[in-house]
Amino acid sequence: MVEPSETEPSLETRPHGFRLSPIHLTAAVRRQILRGLIVVAIFITFVAVLAAIFGISILQYTRDGFRVSAIVIVAAIGLTLIYGIRGFANFAYGDLMTLGAYVALFVNLNARLSIVWGAITSFLVLILVGIVLEVLVFSRLEGRGPVAPIVASVGVGLIIQNGINAVASTDQWLYSIPVVGDVPIVPGLGINWIRDVTTFAVGFSFMASVHVLLKYTNLGKAMRATADNLELAKATGIDTKRVTYAAWAISCGFASTSGVLLGLIGVVSPQMGIQYLLLVFAAVIVGGIGSAYGAMLGGLVVGLSQEMVVPLLVWLGEPDVIGLPHADAYKVAVPFMILIAVLLFRPSGIAGRQTAIVPRGVVTGAIAKALAARRAPIGPPGSDQKGG
Amino acid sequence: MRPLARRAATKKGGDPAAVDTGILVNVAFYASVSIIFAVLALGFNLQWGYTGLFNAGIAGFFLLGAYTAAIVTTPLDPPTIVGGVVIVPGHLGGFSLPFAFGAIMAMVVSGLAAVLIAIPTLRLRADYLAIATLAFSEIIRRITTNLDTVTGGTNGITKIPRLITFDPPNPFANAMVVLGAGAALVLAAFLVLSFIEESPWGRVLRAVREDEVATMALGKNTLLFKIEAFGIGGALMGLAGALFTLTIPYLEPSNFAPALTFSIWVIVIVGGAGNNRGAILGAFLIYGMEWASVILKDYVPTAFKNTIFYTRLMIIGVLLIVLIIYRPQGLLPEKRRVLK
Repeated sequence: MVEPSETEPSLETRPHGFRLSPIHLTAAVRRQILRGLIVVAIFITFVAVLAAIFGISILQYTRDGFRVSAIVIVAAIGLTLIYGIRGFANFAYGDLMTLGAYVALFVNLNARLSIVWGAITSFLVLILVGIVLEVLVFSRLEGRGPVAPIVASVGVGLIIQNGINAVASTDQWLYSIPVVGDVPIVPGLGINWIRDVTTFAVGFSFMASVHVLLKYTNLGKAMRATADNLELAKATGIDTKRVTYAAWAISCGFASTSGVLLGLIGVVSPQMGIQYLLLVFAAVIVGGIGSAYGAMLGGLVVGLSQEMVVPLLVWLGEPDVIGLPHADAYKVAVPFMILIAVLLFRPSGIAGRQTAIVPRGVVTGAIAKALAARRAPIGPPGSDQKGG
Repeated sequence: MRPLARRAATKKGGDPAAVDTGILVNVAFYASVSIIFAVLALGFNLQWGYTGLFNAGIAGFFLLGAYTAAIVTTPLDPPTIVGGVVIVPGHLGGFSLPFAFGAIMAMVVSGLAAVLIAIPTLRLRADYLAIATLAFSEIIRRITTNLDTVTGGTNGITKIPRLITFDPPNPFANAMVVLGAGAALVLAAFLVLSFIEESPWGRVLRAVREDEVATMALGKNTLLFKIEAFGIGGALMGLAGALFTLTIPYLEPSNFAPALTFSIWVIVIVGGAGNNRGAILGAFLIYGMEWASVILKDYVPTAFKNTIFYTRLMIIGVLLIVLIIYRPQGLLPEKRRVLK
């Protein structure tokens, strides 16, 4: 019989001092942290090389890239939650972001409250909107495949966008926030309290809260289970209806926050969310559908690549290179190209799980086929054996 | 999409024949634009109604066809430079070929683009195809807006030559010519589609839509069939683009926003997916709604003028939701083919 005291570490053998509780520093966690540090080191080297080629202004674009990434990450987490649990791409997501920005604008300008109150109100209002959408529309489309909810979500998007157009006109608005200048760090690079620090801080805190939710709460575990396999989750006794409502609440709440952040770094206009919709879709697919961590990585990749390609495009736009007019406007094509590349090579994304019937990309599939054909020469059975 | 209905040129003075002609021109315009929507819907019907491929980038293929036809048929239009600054960017042109060339080139370019988009995405899920095609149409529109020297940028392409130029200019005759050309083309498209859809090729498409794995098990290369269907659908959308240049002799990128794609979805869903007659009927119905809303604008107080435009789009949104939940088979459902 095993004595309990032999299997449990006694008080004397526990490490003293500050413990990273509840994260135990196992070998696996140490490996992950090491990998993360290596990636950060590679990134810094990459930026340094670019700075050598294009000048110190690359840091400005890197900062812009992180700004866009923060917004895209928050939005992508919301989108991927519904994509994983309800199984469809929510084409109304851009319009939900816009709605969030406008609700905050209403509170900010009409009720003359700080934008923070606007953001909180907007979060709550959008949670309501999400639940209403689920009850009225999307619960009736369960089991109809991926296309029917897409069509319905497009309808929802049209209603939201044109409702905003009708009520608030197509003008551009600005939030009433204190005017703050950039704090110069390095010549050519300035950090803005509102546009940069707030965006990063909100992005980080949302990422951290999602991580805590998914990993350490029962609701989070139930959400992961439902996203994995709806029928099995139901069979295990998980209340998938409650999980779905929670997912819609979080999804739309995150949409509202990313909309408010978007309004903070730019203007509030009816088209603001739709311009980001494809970026967010790209982030979700690159990261792997249904995975919040994939959404974070995908958002980072997509946002950084879109902004950091601008110096290259400007160089291409110079008359002695190609002379492309409005070259910097093509930066939006970069996430699209990354999306196509992911679809060609690894459709399940960075963090996506390969299903049993592997949806191989076209290129990897063709390569695999060619390699397999090389290895097994075709001939009548028995002919390649000695003796005949 | 901006309201397309033109003000009918009614002559002042009350000559009844002139007023009638004005109304006729307006109605002919309505019919011509409905025909454009109908050809788009026929193309989408082939892709989705028959083969089950959900294309969210219809506007992009439409744009490619329209701009190709415009570039092929317009005379030279160099940029207007004043004091070293480009005031109006010109566009690529100067070929001045007849409309038939324009239409054929439009179909080729759009069809080719459809095939290229299809290759990486058709093997994957329906929603990946939707996202990729939506991304494609938006990127194409951005490129068109930015590639000033080729496409005329936000100014677009103007002075597209008419099919037959009347001297002195006769709007009624112009409208009739456009309507006649459109009607002929849509009839031809409808007949060709009906023929190939009842053929063995069309049967395989329907089999792919119902159960792709079973079709593969029967030895059909389903990917090839899907690419062919998607390509032909894209070519039809290019043809619609060429028709667009006939009907409205100027192009600009804002005509090709995603709202156009969503209108085509409504048309095909209303008319019944897989039903070509329904697609044409749906086009006349849905564009009729837009045309009526523009006429209504005149009778409504100024404050509400723009609201009519937004309300129409909201109605389309509601239609999409209600139809897809309660009557996805549409008004005229596909006839069920049963072996007797």
